[in-house]
Amino acid sequence: MQNLGSLEETILLIILAMDDDAYGFSVSEAYEQHTGKSISISAVHTVMSRLETKGLISSEMGGETAERGGRRKRIFKATPQGVAVIEEIKASRQKLWGLIPGLG
Amino acid sequence: MPTPPKWADQFLVWFVSEDLIEEIQGDLHEAYYARAAKYGRTAANRQFIADVFQFFKPYAFEKYSRAKQFLPMFDNYFKIALRNILHRKGFTAINLLGLTFGISAVMLIGIYLQNELSYDHATPGHDRIHRVMNKYRDQTYTCMAFNGYNETSADSQLMLVNLLDSYDEVETACHFVPTHSPIGGFGQYFLEMDGKRFTVEKALYTNTGAAFQAVFPQRFLAGTPETAFSGFKKIILTETLAERIFGSNWANQDIVGKDITLRGEGFQLGGVVADVPGNVHYSFDFILHQDRIPGWAGYTYFKLKPNQAAAPVLAKLNTDVGKYHPNFVKDELWKGFISVPLTDIHFTNGNLYELKPTANKAYLTTFGIVGLVILLIILTNYTNLSIAMYADRQKELGMRKALGAQSHDISLQLLVEAVLLSLLCAPFVLFLLQYLLPPFSELMGIELGKNILFNGLALLSLLALLLLTGMLSGLYPALAYGSRSMLRLFGKTSTTTANGYFNFRNTLTAVQFTMVVGLLSITYFIYQQMEFVNNMDLGYQKEGVVYFNIDGIEKYRQLEKKLLELPEVEAVGANGVPGPMMLNQLTYKMKDTETTLSDGTEQYFGLGTVKALGLDCEPCAQLAGSKERIFVINRTAAEKLAKVKGVAPDELVGETLVMEPEWENEEFGYGVHHTIDGIIDDYKYFSLKYADQPLLITIAAEPAWAYEMLVRLNTDNWFAAASKIKTAYEAVETERPLEILFLEDRLYRLYADERRSSVLLGGLSLVAIVLALMGLAGIVSYMAFSRQKEIGIRKILGASTGNILLTFNREYLLLMVVSTAVAMPVALWLSSKWLEGFAFRIEPQFWVVLMAGLLALTLVAAVVTLRTRRAAAKHPVETLRAE
Repeated sequence: MQNLGSLEETILLIILAMDDDAYGFSVSEAYEQHTGKSISISAVHTVMSRLETKGLISSEMGGETAERGGRRKRIFKATPQGVAVIEEIKASRQKLWGLIPGLG
Repeated sequence: MPTPPKWADQFLVWFVSEDLIEEIQGDLHEAYYARAAKYGRTAANRQFIADVFQFFKPYAFEKYSRAKQFLPMFDNYFKIALRNILHRKGFTAINLLGLTFGISAVMLIGIYLQNELSYDHATPGHDRIHRVMNKYRDQTYTCMAFNGYNETSADSQLMLVNLLDSYDEVETACHFVPTHSPIGGFGQYFLEMDGKRFTVEKALYTNTGAAFQAVFPQRFLAGTPETAFSGFKKIILTETLAERIFGSNWANQDIVGKDITLRGEGFQLGGVVADVPGNVHYSFDFILHQDRIPGWAGYTYFKLKPNQAAAPVLAKLNTDVGKYHPNFVKDELWKGFISVPLTDIHFTNGNLYELKPTANKAYLTTFGIVGLVILLIILTNYTNLSIAMYADRQKELGMRKALGAQSHDISLQLLVEAVLLSLLCAPFVLFLLQYLLPPFSELMGIELGKNILFNGLALLSLLALLLLTGMLSGLYPALAYGSRSMLRLFGKTSTTTANGYFNFRNTLTAVQFTMVVGLLSITYFIYQQMEFVNNMDLGYQKEGVVYFNIDGIEKYRQLEKKLLELPEVEAVGANGVPGPMMLNQLTYKMKDTETTLSDGTEQYFGLGTVKALGLDCEPCAQLAGSKERIFVINRTAAEKLAKVKGVAPDELVGETLVMEPEWENEEFGYGVHHTIDGIIDDYKYFSLKYADQPLLITIAAEPAWAYEMLVRLNTDNWFAAASKIKTAYEAVETERPLEILFLEDRLYRLYADERRSSVLLGGLSLVAIVLALMGLAGIVSYMAFSRQKEIGIRKILGASTGNILLTFNREYLLLMVVSTAVAMPVALWLSSKWLEGFAFRIEPQFWVVLMAGLLALTLVAAVVTLRTRRAAAKHPVETLRAE
């Protein structure tokens, strides 16, 4: 299993949740909305490029809009490997939860 | 509608790589408009600028990583370089060894030069500090004095200093005299405290303590400058001396205020200061603050206020001095005061009574040039070796090109290798230097600080030196192989098709050996001159003579009597020890001629000195009769005077000579009159750097005063003799420690600087020649390898192994002839320049350079033969089979 930092894990989850509209700005907005913590766009970019190097997400250019001055976005999608990794993490967490008496 | 700040946007475009700018700029703009709508324009602007700066990091600079995966990357260069370095162990070892030795030598020179060039630079405001010097007759005195300085009151000793102090331009002026100086007499003393006695040296007397502290600030470790210099009769110790006297825990003791006795006078301990570093022009172990300076002169300094010049101060001083010391202005021989900036003192040669030996700028330049020469040899070596080494790496480089590497990728790869290799030798250099530095600083007579190696500057220079070496040496192979076409890299033919005889590689080799031959010859010339100086007939016997200081004629007489009773002692004399630094000269003339000569040196010694030195002194026979003293002049003086008078030198005997004719007095009217009792042969009283000086000598049967004592010993057992002298001395003198020195040592020290240069140059030429031969060995092996087929064909056509070896050697013969021919005029010219510093000198012979060339040729032939032997002996079938 690949090692994932907690920020990487969160961003990967957000990308999965956003389904086809995950790009730098939107992810940073979503992050702030869901976690209540603020994050800079550049931090999101670095994390996503790291995830891409690890092969957990892939990207393509597309979807230019007026508010971007006609510039395209780099849209990120989770790869099957990325989905597998996140499921693995979930499974192992759940196993641990199950071991806690009085909770699971 | 608001828009993002333009400059920030442009900045973003400027630094973000092309592959990333679209998405990043898009994201930031989108975020900007969203925020502007939500929080207003100002907040959005602020946030936008913050975002832009947060992107200023490597991630955004790099080209997008996916596009780069097929190109060799920097860490890949590094990996391959390391692999190559580890793989080619022999090549790496030779290179590392050469680099380590070469760089260490260069570092040593650098440390030496840094030490010399930094003299007095650590003194705060050093550019505003000047020393006053006195021009008198044809000489310049580094110290300031006037008639009767020694006897005058404390106040009038300070007159000139106070005068300087009173000028508006001057911040403060100070005055001191170290005992470890020609004026102080270099003596040792007893220091007493709590009934214990310590032998100490190097005192510094000052009558202007606070001003001394202001001009030359000392760091106080105990006590404060204010209390230490308030009032006289204070002694201030350096850390080392304090440790010697009070033990290593002196800092925890309450020592300030203690009573200390020195030369029978009581002092109060005022404080402890840090040791004086080696690179200042004065030195001391302790300071004595008292109202008078003992001695006949003091060293005087003034510190200007900011933005003031020294010249007006000197002009005023030269005018005003007449008001206080009319004698100065009246004296025709006085040529006025001049000043020298503090940081120039160490480089101002030829003045009288300088505190420390000065540096010869020509020597420093020479060392610097030799350092560069060695650096050049290292560079050419690496270049040569790598050209040779890369021969069998061509396929690797070709493969890289085939896989899409560009010229600059190959160049960068090779450059990284060179730099990495040179950086690898850093730990070895540091290790070596740690062991070399102590003997080196002793050889060069310099005091280096404790942390000379492991400080920021030294480490940084080493790093810079290594990086530079790596880059420069890797440059040629990097460019040559980078631009080579793929086909040529894969081709089977020899890679470096020589363009004529003087191709790049051969030229490098020729340059190297020119430098080696030149260095070797110059070193030999210096050595020859040193031997010449050592073996020259000085006109007296230097062997077996010891000398030491003595306080006054009373003690001299008592000790003379005791010493003459010893069986080991042959003769005892007062004054006249040869080999001092240049002394002050005086004027003289014959009574009946007008022309006054100004280069006389006056001497006064006892008949014992004549015997102890074995001087040839015919007129001395007169002393056996009723005469108490005789006045003789040496041959040089006689010839000069006779020329003026127009007679033969020997006719001067019986005539009257006048010394210092400008001095009016009651006894003679003017000058001091002497009847010449005889003429003695010249003997080399001064260093052989100077021509024979006119000596005006009074020889007394019983000397009337004495400050130094010579003893001729007739035994080889110096230790036994020295201990007997010590016993006798201690029975007579209890106030001063005995310091016995050999006359031979003193004469030897006269040429310390020159000898030092010869040893250093010798060592460096050794490094240079070893490095050059190592480089040569590398090339020749490669040449032999790449010319295998040629050798095979030659053999088939009838050449013997010997013929083949000759072919290789012949190539270098011409190179060596050219090198020697180029080195010859340069070496001869440089050596004659150097030899001009000696009045008595050898003539540099051209055959020495020829011999150096021959020696180099022999070594080259040995290396060439050793390295090509195997290739030459190979059976042609083996080398030609592949065709």
